[in-house]
Amino acid sequence: MIVLLSAVVAILFGSGAFLVLKPDLFRVVIGMVLISNAANLTLMASGLSRGSAPLHPLDEDRVADPLVQAMTLTAIVIGFGVTALLLALSYRVYTSHATVDLDDLSLREARREEQLDRERVERVERVEVEA
Amino acid sequence: MLALALGAPWFAAVALVFLDGRRRVVGLLAAAALAVNLGALIAVAVDVAGNGPYELVTGGWPSGVGISLRADALGVLFAALSSAVVLSALLYEVLSGVRGRLFPPLALFLVTGLTGLFLTGDLFNFFVFFELSMIAAYVLSVYGGERRQIGAAFIFAVVNLLGSFLFLIAVGAIYHVTGSLEMGAVARRFGDVDPASAILIAVTFFVAFGVKLGLFPFHFWLPPLYTGARPAVAAILAGALANIGSYGLIRFGAGLLPSELEFGAPVLLALGAASVIYGSIQALSRRAVAEVLAYSSIGQAGYILIALAVGGPVGYAAAVLYAVVNSVNKTLLFLAIGLRGWLVGAVFVVGAFSVTGIPPSAGFFGKVALFQAAVEQQSVALVALVFLGGALSFVYMFQIYQQDYWSGRETAGTLRAAPRAVALLVAAAVLGLGLWPEPLLALTTAAAEVLGSRGAP
Repeated sequence: MIVLLSAVVAILFGSGAFLVLKPDLFRVVIGMVLISNAANLTLMASGLSRGSAPLHPLDEDRVADPLVQAMTLTAIVIGFGVTALLLALSYRVYTSHATVDLDDLSLREARREEQLDRERVERVERVEVEA
Repeated sequence: MLALALGAPWFAAVALVFLDGRRRVVGLLAAAALAVNLGALIAVAVDVAGNGPYELVTGGWPSGVGISLRADALGVLFAALSSAVVLSALLYEVLSGVRGRLFPPLALFLVTGLTGLFLTGDLFNFFVFFELSMIAAYVLSVYGGERRQIGAAFIFAVVNLLGSFLFLIAVGAIYHVTGSLEMGAVARRFGDVDPASAILIAVTFFVAFGVKLGLFPFHFWLPPLYTGARPAVAAILAGALANIGSYGLIRFGAGLLPSELEFGAPVLLALGAASVIYGSIQALSRRAVAEVLAYSSIGQAGYILIALAVGGPVGYAAAVLYAVVNSVNKTLLFLAIGLRGWLVGAVFVVGAFSVTGIPPSAGFFGKVALFQAAVEQQSVALVALVFLGGALSFVYMFQIYQQDYWSGRETAGTLRAAPRAVALLVAAAVLGLGLWPEPLLALTTAAAEVLGSRGAP
C-alpha cells in the first residue's frame, strides 16, 4: 500500500513540477493543484494506524488515524482557496496584459519599462532645457 | 491576553472587509485594532519575561488533546515586532491615502496569521496561520501597484506556495516519525528518529523557510516583487513577512532539530556566506533604490543563517537579534523611499547607519552579536566575511544616498507631513534601540535560552 501511495505521490508531484515550469500561466496553476494534492496524499499516508472509520461506537479495535484526516481536510480547503486566488491572479494578468504566457509577459513588461524610462529622460531633459 | 492579541485583529479584519478601506476612518479603525494587538503582545512579553512561558489550550480541551497556543520569549518577540512593523506601515499608508478598499483588512489578516504562527505550539496550527498570512500577502503584493507588478506577484505566489506545500509534507513526515504535532513533544522525541529520515525532514524545512526568507539559491522571486510594490507593502513584506522565514529557521532549526542543524552547519555557513556576498555585490551594481534594498535583504538574510550555523547560545542570540534588527531596518528604509522633503534624508541615513552597523543605531548591536558569534567559532574567515559584508553594505547604502539625496534630483514620493512623521517615529525607534538596547538584548538572550533548553534531549 505504502509503495503504491509513494508512487502516486511521486507521479503527481513530478507532473506538477513539470507543469509549473511551463510558461503558460494556467498550466502553472494546474501544476500547483497537482502538487497540493501530492502534499495532501502524503499527509494521508503519514497516518499512524489503518482500519475502519473512526466513528464513535467503535466496533473494531483497529481504527484509522483520525488526526491526519482532519489535517488533510484543512489542507484541501486551504489548497482550494489558494487555487482560486491563483486563477484570479492569472485573470488579472490576462486582462491587463492580454496574455497568459510568462515569456510574452516579461517581454511586454520590459518594453513598457523602456517606454517609462524614455519618458522620464525626456521629462528631465525638458526641465533642464527650461532651466 | 493571548486570546485578545489573536482575536482583536481577526474580528476587526472580518468586520472591515465589508467597509470601504479607502475611507480614512476605516484605516484608523484597523490601526486601532492593530494597536490593541500590539499592546496585548507587549503585555504578554512582559509577563513571559517575568514568569516564563505559558500555554493556552484552545476550546477548553485538556492539554495534549486541544490545539495549544504557546507564548515564549522567542515567539512573543517576533510577534510584537511584526505587529509593530505592520502597524507603522498601515499608518503610513492610511495617512498618505489608501488606494484599494481591501488594504486595511488585509493588513489585519496578515497580522492575525503572524501572531498565530509565532505563538502556536502545534505544527499543523503553524501551517494554517502561516497560510493565512501568506494569502493576505499574495493579495497585498498586487495592491496599488503598476501593471508590471502582477507578473512579479504571480511568481511570488507560486514560489511561496511551493514552499508551503513542502512545509506541509515535512509536517506530515514529522507526525509519522514522532507521532505528535506538539512542538515540545516533537523536540523530545526527535532524538530517537532514524537519522536518514531526520535529515530529509530537516532539509525540507530548510528549503521551505529559505524560500520565505529569500536566501541565496531561493531568492529570485524577491527583487522584482520588492521593486514594484508600494513602499508600505514592501515594508510589510520585508519587515514582517520575512520574519516567518527567520523565525522558522530559528525555531525549527535550533528549537526542534538541533542535532540536524549542527550536522548541516557547514552547508548553512556556505549558503549564508554566498547569500551575503551575492546580495551585497548585486546591491552594489543596482541603481534603483528599491532594487538595492531588495538585494540588501538577501545579503542580510545570509547573516542570520551564518549566526544560526555557528550555533550555541551566542550564535542563537545573534541570529534572533540580527533578524529583529534587520526587520526594523528594512521597514524604515522602504518607508523612507516613498517620501521626500524635509528630514527624509536624515531618516534614510538612520536606516543606512543601521544596515551598516554604525553605533548610535540598532544595527550596531546586531553586528556586534555577529562578531561575537564569529569570534566564538574562532574562525578568521567568518570575521573577515562579516567585516567585508559590512563594508560592502556601507558602500551601496551611501551610493544610493548620494545619488538620491545629495544630488537634489527630484524623486517620486509624497510630500505630506503625516506619513513623514510615521517614518520619523520608526527612525526614532531604531535610534532608541541603539541607545538603550538592554530590553532588546535581554529578550533575545531569553529567546536563545528557550531554544537551548528545548533543544536539550
